[in-house]
Amino acid sequence: MAFLQLDALSKAFGPHKAVDGLTLGVEKGEFVSLLGPSGCGKTTTLQMIAGFVEPSGGAIRLEGKDLLAVKPAKRGLGIVFQSYALFPHMSVAENVAFGLEMQGVAKAERAKRVAETLGLVGLGAFAARFPRQLSGGQQQRVALARALVIRPQILLLDEPLSNLDAKLREEMQIELRQIQRTVGTTTILVTHDQAEAMALSDRIVVMNQGRAEQIAPPHEAYERPATPFVANFLGKTNLIDGKAVRPERIEFASSGLAGTVRTRIFQGNHWLYQVETASGLLTVIRQNAGGTMPEEGASVHLAWAAP
Amino acid sequence: MSKNGPIALIYHTLFVIFMLAPIVVVCWVAFTPEGFLSFPTTDWSLRWFRAIARYPEFISAFWQSLGLGALSSALAVGFSVPAALAIARHRFRGREAFTALFMSPLMIPYIVLGIAFLRFFTEIGLSGSFTGLVLAHIIVVFPFALRLTLASAIGLDRSIEHAAVSLGASEWTVLKRVTLPLVVPGLASGWALAFINSFDEVTMTVFIAGPGTATLPVRMFLYIQDNIDPLVTSVSACVIAITVAGLVALDRAYGLERLLVGRGHDGR
Repeated sequence: MAFLQLDALSKAFGPHKAVDGLTLGVEKGEFVSLLGPSGCGKTTTLQMIAGFVEPSGGAIRLEGKDLLAVKPAKRGLGIVFQSYALFPHMSVAENVAFGLEMQGVAKAERAKRVAETLGLVGLGAFAARFPRQLSGGQQQRVALARALVIRPQILLLDEPLSNLDAKLREEMQIELRQIQRTVGTTTILVTHDQAEAMALSDRIVVMNQGRAEQIAPPHEAYERPATPFVANFLGKTNLIDGKAVRPERIEFASSGLAGTVRTRIFQGNHWLYQVETASGLLTVIRQNAGGTMPEEGASVHLAWAAP
Repeated sequence: MSKNGPIALIYHTLFVIFMLAPIVVVCWVAFTPEGFLSFPTTDWSLRWFRAIARYPEFISAFWQSLGLGALSSALAVGFSVPAALAIARHRFRGREAFTALFMSPLMIPYIVLGIAFLRFFTEIGLSGSFTGLVLAHIIVVFPFALRLTLASAIGLDRSIEHAAVSLGASEWTVLKRVTLPLVVPGLASGWALAFINSFDEVTMTVFIAGPGTATLPVRMFLYIQDNIDPLVTSVSACVIAITVAGLVALDRAYGLERLLVGRGHDGR
């Protein structure tokens, strides 16, 4: 049995099934993302693991023991919330020390571990500040430090980066990945951002309407999507004769499917094309290699290797 | 910051004058040397301030009002916390009915409440007692305390409490270390509003206060029924001065905005 095992986990709110028989095993040290559109049940799943929502059916086991029998306060999980949920009336150091204080860790040991963890997230100099004096990215790191300092068995991340701007989000993704590798904590990330899930995870669980559509490593899910939903959710895709073909796999060739370029958009490192063909409007992405590319209105031929 | 246009500026000025004029007139008249209410007065005198000393019942009534207001507001705020948390967080049967019940003292004319309390307290032997006054005032000021406590309970981010729970805090610890500190601005402003209403209340209190428990407004009300001299204006001026001094001291010590609006807490 896996380190963390969800068995046919379900949650119904009245007639609406938010989570519908989700089975998932997470190995120790693994980084798993629950990915899906809003309302797919990913946050409800996280809250059931955390203990804030009671399942209507199924089981959750941690190292073989029934986690549902354990009170939320005794589960020993670290959680980072979308709103960060820092204690606004406590300093950064007090925020991080809170969990240790609850565990009854002695004062000297507490101070040492708080300093260590703040160092880990690069906020060693901010211990005396209050949350309102920090930027969004810094608050995010405090929330992460506060969750990590108690050495949780599992780290739960609920859309932790969605309140940050795009550039900072990318930096934090890299940092989060590095920190998780350093401390080796088993991590479950809830996100609606497919790029974030693919960048961070060992495996992703693509969820739709309370069910797992596919559980696979990111590369595999992208290359061999199990369902049309997964294909569409994980990046752009063309459906040609019932087969999913990624836009970057289609080339301009001297022969092949004939078409006319409807629009051409330059995006720096690549060109994004919409090409009108007998199989419908296809999206084509070509790397910007510096050469000349077909213009709008040009007649082109498209070719791709069978997926 | 954008600047106000001339019309807005005139409007604001008139509004401030409208708000402050009665206070200014009362304070002005208090300094008259005449034996009646004369305005505008041409001479200045402290005659009517010295006169307060000859009426110790005004001073004892002031302390009576202060104690009554502080105690009944504190108890009302204390009762409002569990009520506000329950109403803000839980959907239970009779939730709307409870909310309406808690707010109902606002809708009943105070004169009706006064007569009802008089009858009720006479029945149970609390007529004219301080305990009776406190009970009646708790009920009257409770809606004000609840409104503000409720506002801060609704504004509280549940995930902050969830975070504390996930870090191992018991329910009691969450309440003590996280929930209560975060609603303190709401409690403080609820208490202040309740206190002002209690201190101010005369319509109901005049029925239930006894000779030994008369509050300041009741004492003043009874005085102007028999006298036309400016003594009540000098008493009023003293209350206004004490209020202003109190507000300034509070602002210096804690910052009024932080205490009443809670701006200093989360910066949002």
